[in-house]
Amino acid sequence: MPTYEELRAQAEQARQPTPGPQRPLIKVGVTTCSRAVGAQETLDAVRKELADRGLEADVMVTGCWGLCYAEPIVEVAHLGRPAVLYGRLTADKVPQLIEGAVATDRVGVVPELALAVLADEPLEGVPPLSASGGLEFFAGQERRLMANCGVTDPDSIDQYISRGGYEGLAKALGMTDEQVINEVLESGLWGRGGAAFSTGRKWEFLRGANVTPKYMICNADEGDPGSFVNRNLMESDPHLIVEGMAIGGYATGASYGYIYIRDEYPLPVERMEAAIRQARERGLLGGDVLGSAQTGARPGGFAFDLEVVRGAGSYVCGEETGLIASIEDARGMPKIRPPFPAQAGVFDMPSNVNNVESYANVPLILREGAAWYASVGSENHKGTKMFSLSGQVQRVGILEVPLGTPMSDVVMGAGGGPPEGRALKAVQPGGPLSGIVPASDVGIALEPEPFKERGMFMGSGGLVVLDDSNCVVDLAIYFEWFAEDESCGRCTTCFAGTRRLLEILKRISSGRGRSSDPEIMRLLADTMSYANCVHGQAAPTVVMTMFSFFEEELNEHLYNKRCPAKVCRGMVRYEVVHHSDKLPAAEAICPTQAVVRENGSYRIDQGKCIKCDACREQAPYAIAVVDEFGPG
Amino acid sequence: MTKITAGPSHTSRYTALDPVPGDVELLAKVRELIDDLSPDNAELLTAFHRIQQAYGYVPRETIPVIATKFRTTPAMLYGALDFYSEIRTVPPAETVVEWCSGPACLLKGSMNIRRVLESILGCEMSQNTDDGAFGLRLVQCDGTCHLAPLVRREGRYIGPLSVSDTIRLARELKGEGEPEPVPESGGLKAGEGQPAVESAAEQEGGGA
Repeated sequence: MPTYEELRAQAEQARQPTPGPQRPLIKVGVTTCSRAVGAQETLDAVRKELADRGLEADVMVTGCWGLCYAEPIVEVAHLGRPAVLYGRLTADKVPQLIEGAVATDRVGVVPELALAVLADEPLEGVPPLSASGGLEFFAGQERRLMANCGVTDPDSIDQYISRGGYEGLAKALGMTDEQVINEVLESGLWGRGGAAFSTGRKWEFLRGANVTPKYMICNADEGDPGSFVNRNLMESDPHLIVEGMAIGGYATGASYGYIYIRDEYPLPVERMEAAIRQARERGLLGGDVLGSAQTGARPGGFAFDLEVVRGAGSYVCGEETGLIASIEDARGMPKIRPPFPAQAGVFDMPSNVNNVESYANVPLILREGAAWYASVGSENHKGTKMFSLSGQVQRVGILEVPLGTPMSDVVMGAGGGPPEGRALKAVQPGGPLSGIVPASDVGIALEPEPFKERGMFMGSGGLVVLDDSNCVVDLAIYFEWFAEDESCGRCTTCFAGTRRLLEILKRISSGRGRSSDPEIMRLLADTMSYANCVHGQAAPTVVMTMFSFFEEELNEHLYNKRCPAKVCRGMVRYEVVHHSDKLPAAEAICPTQAVVRENGSYRIDQGKCIKCDACREQAPYAIAVVDEFGPG
Repeated sequence: MTKITAGPSHTSRYTALDPVPGDVELLAKVRELIDDLSPDNAELLTAFHRIQQAYGYVPRETIPVIATKFRTTPAMLYGALDFYSEIRTVPPAETVVEWCSGPACLLKGSMNIRRVLESILGCEMSQNTDDGAFGLRLVQCDGTCHLAPLVRREGRYIGPLSVSDTIRLARELKGEGEPEPVPESGGLKAGEGQPAVESAAEQEGGGA
């Protein structure tokens, strides 16, 4: 088995992704989010254009910078010049790019397509991609977990190793298992999946279990709608997770690991499986990890292997006991704890379940040391956290900031806030169970306590932004629908509780709310807090935060039967309020023939109208949404 | 180190099943598909995925075959099958439109899109039309929220969609063109003054 030094030398020797003389390097990010807007076509077009013109260049596939709003992204690097990122580079813009950036001998920048330059200074008016400013989306970021995202080829283990990958594992193998756990404890790392429990403590529990075999499990069932940070890590830097799990296996005595990836993520499954295969080929997984039998890291050497399990579409499988049940070929229903997984997990053997991001932190802690790790973050929480931004923001994307960063820096700064002309209303911080933060509190620090004080959870990092065109009651209906739909059905408190909440909310949104409804909902929430798993316990959070922060809006629905944002369908109707030449287009587009022309004027047939808004899109001046129940 | 699987064996709840009636060819093919899987190895979902990959759904008659393979009862197996929303037990429609139910899409108006899809394609969400020509499938957020609100068709993402775009898309799928907007009056600058009365024939418009 090769030692780490041999692997590193081998990796350095493999051709490194740097531009050569007269041979620029072109990187195309290919991930789920960029493929959705045609990155694969861009990649093909780049290859074809280069071949057609007979140009010399290297083309490389990379992961994702997290700049979802500007995908597909192409990077062009020339020897001795800073590399330039080009955004929204669909296949049709490739000829222009190749012409301006590769075919000419000049500076090789196409400013009108460029997004940022990978340097500290602007180049030809293109802003720099740096944390200290330049591109707004990067300001304030501290990219540690994401250091390789968008930079390296996720399918190349050599590139990972040559950038310090697997050094953490090599270091860990030179320490005792206790020392490794102490290092993790010292860093203060806690679980990034939402519960924020100390990772080191969890590992101690598993190490203390006397039964073998033990299992490491990676929870990659990123089911929270609106969170996609784990997906980006698995697609852009899969070896980071493999390495983190191997270190965990060494520290706890686990010999096998499962990575449970949700069914909605086909590309991460591919890339994780490829990473595992490569790690096995290099002796980083298998019966004798990094020649540990010879170096005497552990009597008989350290053996560890991994396997990917693909889920099949279930939110509660993101709960650790549900996930374990799903691995065991059964319905993925959560169980009552104790026993905790560290006592009886998968196949009733001691197991440890951590989130993708938790594992991904571990190699960095081992490689750079706990002190380095703790050098950023707030007073109580060290390290960084990845967040995904979506909803009503100008820049949708994934970023990594130190813990304790004000949420406004992320939402308003990096994300650019709501679209022009709209005002921020609220932020929904992480998954359907986490609650809603009102705009007045958008400045709170991104760490667990400020959320807990407000009766919410920080969750797993999916920030969904609402603006004043959105209705809180409507969002609550969505989340209760989600909670009801995904409830496993074991506890009546949960499956019936969520259904009742949904019924009541739907009634309120249709204008049939009763003054007793808030009280009933509070009682339900109280009962639901006795559910067996967090799904049932936390399902009413969104309703409770609505009571705390959006009572006025709720009461408007309840007592005045009015939806201020004009979203709740039961409380509005469409009317022709002006005449305009766009009305024939509205008539043509209407899917139910509800825009009726009579004697030269138009009206909406309320019996046919499904309130889809298409007519107003066509004739915004002529057609208005009015309150169904009118004032008073 | 190779895998150690431990824990309770499934044998206690295993009873051999009589050969089931059904399409012999299909059952043989399914047996072949799952031949290399083992019952105590976290591989049931793999079996479901493989069968669904091959047929577009997990046919009901294959359940006893899978149960025999995994040394469990059809009831246990059906329980697992029923639990996962991405495993289907009905054949997919000829044209399937996947509608993202995520919160970013919701905030950007995905309910309106859902309404017009249901209205024009003629089927409810998560259902197929009676003739099996069209189906709507509810999918969960996969983090392509920069395209919100979006639908997917044959793996292609379509978004951000306006309601009008969606109506055009759905009509195209149905093979109907959008009725041409009938101008209110031939030569007049529209929008001003009283509109001219249209004849009924003109109102029919020209379907493209």
